[in-house]
Amino acid sequence: MDNNVIECKNLTHYYGKKLVYENLNFNVREGSILGLLGKNGAGKTTTINILNGFLQPRSGECLIFGENSQHLTPETKGRIGFLIEGHVQYAFMDIYQIEKFYSKFYPNWNSEPYWDLMSKLKVTPTQKISSMSCGQRSQVALGLILAQDPDLLILDDFSMGLDPGYRRLFIDYLREYAKANNKTIFVTSHIISDMERLIDDLLIMDYNRVLAQCPVNQFMDSFKQFTFELDNNNIDLSKEKFVASVDKIKNKVELHTFESEDFVKEFLKKENISVKNFKQVEMNLEDAFIGLTGKY
Amino acid sequence: MWKSIIFKEWLKVRWYLIGATLLLGVFVSYIFINVKHDITFQDANNLWYLILFKKYQFFGLIKYLPLLVGIGIAAAQYVPEIVSKRVKLSFHLPVNENKMLLMMLGFGNLSLLICFSIVFSIFISLSNCFFAYEIVNEAIITIIPWLLGGIAAYSLVGLIVMEPIWMYKIFYLVVTSMFIPLYYERGITGAYKPVNLTLAIITLLISVSLLFSAYRFRKGEM
Repeated sequence: MDNNVIECKNLTHYYGKKLVYENLNFNVREGSILGLLGKNGAGKTTTINILNGFLQPRSGECLIFGENSQHLTPETKGRIGFLIEGHVQYAFMDIYQIEKFYSKFYPNWNSEPYWDLMSKLKVTPTQKISSMSCGQRSQVALGLILAQDPDLLILDDFSMGLDPGYRRLFIDYLREYAKANNKTIFVTSHIISDMERLIDDLLIMDYNRVLAQCPVNQFMDSFKQFTFELDNNNIDLSKEKFVASVDKIKNKVELHTFESEDFVKEFLKKENISVKNFKQVEMNLEDAFIGLTGKY
Repeated sequence: MWKSIIFKEWLKVRWYLIGATLLLGVFVSYIFINVKHDITFQDANNLWYLILFKKYQFFGLIKYLPLLVGIGIAAAQYVPEIVSKRVKLSFHLPVNENKMLLMMLGFGNLSLLICFSIVFSIFISLSNCFFAYEIVNEAIITIIPWLLGGIAAYSLVGLIVMEPIWMYKIFYLVVTSMFIPLYYERGITGAYKPVNLTLAIITLLISVSLLFSAYRFRKGEM
């Protein structure tokens, strides 16, 4: 049986009268990396805030290491590393001051990975974090989390504002660290291609609902894209139950579904829909995400 | 752990605190340069007469400075916490949130007390060089509410800055702007003597008001 580090049960939240989600359930297994994917406003940061106890859900609860996230004890908080969206840190400190500050809070503090990352940055010893670039700040934030050596890492949109090099550095460092030390990670990012290199499991949210929740490999195996050309432009496939999304430009169709190629072909045949150039297209995670959530 | 919190608060306010202490020191020095000037060029008897019988406040120049220092310390300490909601970092530290906030408040209040104590000690020492005990005593009684006003302003500005809801911010601002003038009413020297203790107790009570704003922040109200 899986040992869950995070268990969220029947989470429901509103902002005023606007429903964010209703009865959201998900677990994060120990040692796994779960990516929460969703468009802007789908509820990613809301979920992170509930997990960290910065937001009380309308109903439901999240348990972290068995404790309600609204009332985490200092000991449990010490087991959680938290990266705030935008790599927010104490900007009035320099890299020495901030390491000195945090080191006193965590018994397992190991400054080696922090200084390892800092050695890659071209910053002066007394340079304030406020005057660093976004990429440099991300490395400071990451280094501090690695030095904390938490059992669970909660990372809110870690890729925000980072150039491709820093994103790659961040991901590679993080994945290697997590897998080598059996760490659990809950991560959100709006750059889906980054997630593909990092996560084991995914949770895709759309407005008010969960679209997919499974291991990435399972999702990529089961979710498919087919393209074909319709003989009759007026046929509308968007209402069919098996269709996750469909894009049509003139007679060229891009169809996304969890059904098999045989199923789709059979459907087209049964409905007497004549098509040509039918083929399945290989997708990466970003293609699949857009295929599932739609472009708009 | 607690030393680390003090270290963080110190980093935020240190230059402001040192600057404010020096500025207050400069103003106190200026007061006594004036006193010396008046004694030298306008006769000491005349100055004493004005102080004793006309209730002239030779130290009136510093009346609102403690208020400005209190507001400034609160801004220096709490504005960096709300920029980018950085206070989330503090709340995520493995310590009890209320204890940490009380530590922050305690640090701010202690900073003000140290600043005021230094300047006040200089003021009393210099006053004793020029004036009799009775005049110095009256001056102390008059200045105490001004200093308490600075401490109250520190607490209330902290409350306003940390408040996540704009409507509450405005409400607190209105209350503060009506409450703080109580410490700075016009009056003759020593007029506050009967209420100084009451003001001190009220100041102490409002010093924990920041906890209300912080509680709402933690519950995600916005």
